[in-house]
Amino acid sequence: MKRVTLLAEVQQDVCRGCKVCEKVCPVYAISVTDRKAKVKEDACRGCTNCESRCPFHAIKMVKREKPFTIGVDASQYDSGKIRELCEKAHLNPEQVICYCVGVRAEEVAAAIMAGAKTPDEISSVTGIRTGCTIECIQPLLRLIQAAGIELKRDENGWQWYGVTPTAWTLPEDVVQKYNKRGFYFEEDKQLLDRVVHTNPKGEEKK
Amino acid sequence: MNYTELMHEPIKPILPKPSQYGIDPSLVKARVSEMPGMVSLYLRELFPDLPPVLLPGGPDAIKNVRKAAEEALMKVDMSMIKPEHSVNVLASHHGFTLFGGEPYAELLKAIRDVVEKRTGCRDIRLRAGVGMRFRETEEYIKRYGLDTYYNGKAIGVAPIDEGIPIETEIGTLYGIKKVYDADWIIHAHHTDVREVHFHRQVDKAVKPFGMSYARCETRSTYHQNLGPRAANFTARAIFESKFVQSKFAFAAFLNCGPHGVIGADCDNDLYALNDRATFVGCQLYGKIMTLFGEIDKCIAVLDFPCPVPYVFSAGVIYANFTGANTDLYDMESPLPPYTWYTEAFYRRNGQPLLEETPPMNPAIRMCVHNYAWTGYPSEFFSKNIPTVVVGEEQGKLFDTDSMNIGYMDYAVTARSTEQAMQFAYNVTGTDKVIIFDGAMGGMNVSESLAKLLIEKAPEVSERVDNVLLPKWLKQRGVDISILNRNK
Ligand code: SF4
Ligand code: SF4
Repeated sequence: MKRVTLLAEVQQDVCRGCKVCEKVCPVYAISVTDRKAKVKEDACRGCTNCESRCPFHAIKMVKREKPFTIGVDASQYDSGKIRELCEKAHLNPEQVICYCVGVRAEEVAAAIMAGAKTPDEISSVTGIRTGCTIECIQPLLRLIQAAGIELKRDENGWQWYGVTPTAWTLPEDVVQKYNKRGFYFEEDKQLLDRVVHTNPKGEEKK
Repeated sequence: MNYTELMHEPIKPILPKPSQYGIDPSLVKARVSEMPGMVSLYLRELFPDLPPVLLPGGPDAIKNVRKAAEEALMKVDMSMIKPEHSVNVLASHHGFTLFGGEPYAELLKAIRDVVEKRTGCRDIRLRAGVGMRFRETEEYIKRYGLDTYYNGKAIGVAPIDEGIPIETEIGTLYGIKKVYDADWIIHAHHTDVREVHFHRQVDKAVKPFGMSYARCETRSTYHQNLGPRAANFTARAIFESKFVQSKFAFAAFLNCGPHGVIGADCDNDLYALNDRATFVGCQLYGKIMTLFGEIDKCIAVLDFPCPVPYVFSAGVIYANFTGANTDLYDMESPLPPYTWYTEAFYRRNGQPLLEETPPMNPAIRMCVHNYAWTGYPSEFFSKNIPTVVVGEEQGKLFDTDSMNIGYMDYAVTARSTEQAMQFAYNVTGTDKVIIFDGAMGGMNVSESLAKLLIEKAPEVSERVDNVLLPKWLKQRGVDISILNRNK
């Protein structure tokens, strides 16, 4: 859940139509037509990516006159199904996966159950990946993949490239080769598994 | 014990700096080190075995850093770089916050000059990576004149910039394309321990390959996919890849201790340098970190031009102080009181998912946020530690940061530094104060806390040397013989 208080505003006289903003917006709220960037006000989630990467400093973040709140209420969805999906992605439903906005795995699972199919659609309804926009991409992709939805990268944008290794996919030879160097692979996997399988009452399931 | 001999006038802290991530420096009306009852402790008096420093020092300090850098750079093999080649010097934002930032900038200047002189190569560029403040290194590049020094070829790069897939032994990871768009790369970093709560001083010298030089997918792998003690392998996987190895020329490091810049260390073998950095990180920083763990109660003050977790005192960042109730170096304890893994594992009701999760340092009775920047998700800090922010402007600034929309939901504001401190004294009932203001060579604290630290330092020093250091190094498989190799 996120309170959206900011809006990106393009200074048309400074914009040179380079399209960098378009490539870094996690929710596709800004795009370039006729060599000028335009923001879809309702779609902007105020993450500041466009403002931070525009090479010509053409974008300013302004306070919205009418801030609004976005979010998906996970309690409205079947908790068993939410847990199933989260566990498949090796996440506990209650765990936070976006540190800026505070979105938990269960909220993303609920968004998927409500019909969101892509990272940008999920960001748009939950607010995940509209804070720092960098740290939560993997759990987000993991949850979409766990739901059986095919991930299709936008070749024209830099929004995201692909899923990466997890504790559960590390090759055994790598684990053996490096665990003497202070990398606690196996122990950490066990810790993550304990987190995943802890239920609302605090009981741990093997 | 003669306490007064060891208590000095407060050290002048780093000045507020203009930045889009902080309030205007003119709004910082008072520094806590100027308040009554504050003194400074010099680290080399607390721990006499700390090596001498080049900086802080006299008027020649920066010149001496430059000289050390040049000497170290003369020793590495640069024969792979030909005059017609291109070279990217890779830097990270944290280097610029160390000791005012000038020594790191000087290292970067020395690298450019020596590489050009020794190889005849003229296409030398600077690529300076950031964390979550995407314009941060752009600000430093301008502040230290690196754009002109690198003939206009100095840019800041961010984890959402165009990426490049890198095949590694654990699968595909992603780097930033502009980091690797040269024939050779030079890794310019420092031995400051910084986020020991994250990297646990494991492969710290390699970490920027999974952070400052990497795309968001890779950073997210580190912070979400592998676990708190395995995460740093992400960086090693990238560094070990054929792609990176084919471009890696050498590493040039600023050697830092908690008390200042000790020298420079360059090597074609990053792992040899890594072992030396691990030793410095465990031995020199380990003592002050362990000493901070002896503080029973205190008011922690943030007073430095940096985001909340990165403000520092005696080389230790605030995020590490929030974990000083545990031994952050001890690999046996899986979760430190604060990392993103820890933060993630809290329930909706505010309780941790796993019972044994250590709480944020209970010795911190209150945090007075006199001056610190936005640009890092910090809600967890104000949620778990009572926080007073000085001045409405700072509160408002945090409210406009997309990473900190909730920070002020849990913090209160005070009109002035004096009032914030008075409130903290009244509510906590302690007059022990530790100031994270980046003071160089020592730390600014209240007299009462100074007394406690002076009392505890000798025992801590002995414990680290005899018990903890051997354990920490063993847990990291550090090859001790490599430490003696000619640097
Ligand atoms: S990044 Fe800046 S200059 Fe480029 S299209 Fe967007 S607003 Fe215009
Ligand atoms: S969501 Fe972010 S990147 Fe997109 S238009 Fe708004 S501020 Fe810019």
